[in-house]
Amino acid sequence: MDDIKRLLMLGVLGSLLILSMAYAYAENQTINQPLTLRILSEKTLSGTAGDFATVKAQINNSGLQPLNDITTYISLVDESNKMPVDLEDWSAEKGLFIGTIDAGQALPLNWKIHFVKAGKYSLIIVAEITGQEIPQVSGIVHFTVNSKRNLNPGQVLPVALGTPIVVLFIMLLLNYKRNSSKSS
Amino acid sequence: MFRNIWLKELKEQLYTWKGTLWLVISSLTFSLISYLLLTDKELSLLDQTEMMWMLAKVIISIGLLIVSIDASSIISNEFEKETAESLFLSPIKMKDFVSGKLLASLTLWLLIFIVSIPYILVTSAGTKLFFPFFYYVFLLGSLGVFGFIMLIFAISLLFRSSKNTLTTSLVVLLALFIPSLFSTTLKNNSFALALGKVNPVDNIFSSLDNVLVDYQTSLFHNGQFILPLALFCLITLMFLVYATKRFKQAGVVKNG
Repeated sequence: MDDIKRLLMLGVLGSLLILSMAYAYAENQTINQPLTLRILSEKTLSGTAGDFATVKAQINNSGLQPLNDITTYISLVDESNKMPVDLEDWSAEKGLFIGTIDAGQALPLNWKIHFVKAGKYSLIIVAEITGQEIPQVSGIVHFTVNSKRNLNPGQVLPVALGTPIVVLFIMLLLNYKRNSSKSS
Repeated sequence: MFRNIWLKELKEQLYTWKGTLWLVISSLTFSLISYLLLTDKELSLLDQTEMMWMLAKVIISIGLLIVSIDASSIISNEFEKETAESLFLSPIKMKDFVSGKLLASLTLWLLIFIVSIPYILVTSAGTKLFFPFFYYVFLLGSLGVFGFIMLIFAISLLFRSSKNTLTTSLVVLLALFIPSLFSTTLKNNSFALALGKVNPVDNIFSSLDNVLVDYQTSLFHNGQFILPLALFCLITLMFLVYATKRFKQAGVVKNG
């Protein structure tokens, strides 16, 4: 019975040791990560479908060593559908590559995005550093894209009806001119 | 001399029902498309730039189709109506004959483009894309049409029959249009990508997508699409020169 208790105690102690090591490793990864990302244009992001906006962000290397080969990209989630958004039409430049960021240096990051569909969205910026297992992410920015209805029969109807009529009128005029020149 | 041939063709086009009916048909098609795009409840939820892209594709496609049909008969008719003999008895150079006809076909494209301007204006209302829309439809459409006319003229001079020229031209046009209907996924393999790079229709549509959907409006950003189009025009020009030489060798009245 004592052996079982001892074995159980050892098991519990071993698990605690492994857990604390894992926690320390994860904390170490986070604390020692000198790269920080910040979205600066969170207040100006909302708009109407069809508008263009610029996502302004800043990447900062607060460490003592320069960092190389960093790929940054934006990630957009449609909060209504709980689905990530396919950026094909939203942004022409999906990723920005940074060759080297010196120690203590801060670099601006700009993405021109095109509000394609109305809805509520959340946006983050991710940075992947070559050779590191854990990426660095910015805080989440929430924004709304208002719907835009292009119902404008007031504008299109005169053009849709008028243009064929004008072309037809010119055609009849030319035909009349040809017939009158023939008869004369 | 080519000016006389151009004016003669222009008069034939404008003073006949056949010539001007194309413009009415184009105008009615643009009316239908733009009215549907801007007033249909489902379609109106589309992004405006996407509507402009769709209309731009329709304008250029209709232009290519109508000009191809017209160009298929503009030279061959001279043989079928047996007017070629008397035409070449006059002191006319082959270069002037082809240039005059080429200019007449390009004028038809210009007229279709002029008819499309009110639609470009109304579809781009409220965006800052009117000028890129207008400029790129004209530039890409003109390059595409110019290349196709030269290709069709070369076929015309080799076949000397409007029926055969029309069938061949429409088959070529259809073959070039089919890959542009494929979805993005189907275009991802290396063969489809290589095909897309040389296909003039694909280059026109990709450039329009780049300008109107991705907002890359500078010529620098569209060079990758415009250069293959210019190359297509150069190749068709070389083919036309070859066909003209073959035509001269065979003579106006073909032996055998």
